[in-house]
Amino acid sequence: MRLLLVVALLLSWGPVMAMPSIEIIIRNHLFYPSELTIAADTKVKLIIVNQDASAEEFESYELNREKVIPGHSKGIVFVGPLAPGTYPFFGEFFPKTAQGHIIVK
Amino acid sequence: MLINSVIIVLREVLEAALIVSILLAQGQVLSLPRVYFMLPVMVGAILAVVYASNIVAVSALMGGIGQEIVNTVLHGLIVICTMVLIGAIKKPQAKLIIIIAGAGCLATAMVRELAEIIIYINGFASVPSLLSSVLAGSFIGAGIGFSIGVFFYYLIVGMRPINGLRLSLVMLSLICAGMVSQAIQFLMQADLIPSHAPLWDTSAWVSEHSIIGQLLFALVGYEATPTATQATGYGLALLLAFILAIQKPRCDDVARPKGVK
Repeated sequence: MRLLLVVALLLSWGPVMAMPSIEIIIRNHLFYPSELTIAADTKVKLIIVNQDASAEEFESYELNREKVIPGHSKGIVFVGPLAPGTYPFFGEFFPKTAQGHIIVK
Repeated sequence: MLINSVIIVLREVLEAALIVSILLAQGQVLSLPRVYFMLPVMVGAILAVVYASNIVAVSALMGGIGQEIVNTVLHGLIVICTMVLIGAIKKPQAKLIIIIAGAGCLATAMVRELAEIIIYINGFASVPSLLSSVLAGSFIGAGIGFSIGVFFYYLIVGMRPINGLRLSLVMLSLICAGMVSQAIQFLMQADLIPSHAPLWDTSAWVSEHSIIGQLLFALVGYEATPTATQATGYGLALLLAFILAIQKPRCDDVARPKGVK
């Protein structure tokens, strides 16, 4: 039984450990980088670091993702696996400046 | 910034205003004292301030997915309370259950929606040049949201009681199904359940960016690109709500709520 549990844990952690992660910085209400390229059919961990004092909401209708990133803090958002294409994202609190997109190839 | 504030606050207020107005109208139809509904709104508002004040700590929980966990729990509580309410609404002896479920639903909805507004406005405290337009936009958005809530309140209480209850149950069921879809989205975002490609894409017809899209989101949980898991969850929640709503009261339910024939 214990062996089964260990195997199940290893199997469940395997993909997480291998998952690529990308850091996105929010500074002066802009995303850096504003263009990301990821592989198709791959799950990716986005680490969003908000260096501004004000909060921002990372949002993407195309990715079905929304998350508030408080000022001077970071948040994690998992995206994918995705089909090839372009997926825009934006900062809902500062949508005119905070814009970016993920290119899936 | 003004227009953006209007849209953001309107979206959040609208969801809460709809739930509050529907439950207040149900209370009116069932002749329940308003204090049972106003008290949880106030408790929810206080808890929203607590949640918003601790958003940094909450976000960092469980390796950075604390926000998703809390939001899923809040949506889950709203769904449970709503389902209990739908199942109990026709049973006169279940008055206490109706009050408790309604109170739970109201308090949780307030925490969820108000916390985001507080975080949003508070974020501009450090940007004085934008604060006035953000506040103005927030007041306008809140005003529009409340007005729509008031409209649905009077629509429901102005109908024959049985029709008012039916409409409120349909609206609650749709909001509830939307909450299930949102909870599933949070779980996918936190990588706690597998994420898949969208089942369909209706964004060309009704974009989620648009005002109509935002209204539909609040009213029926509209999602332009739902995954199969979200669509299934939505459908199952609607089905469960329908089954609970059409349940006939037992034979010993002799009395009916005042005004309901």
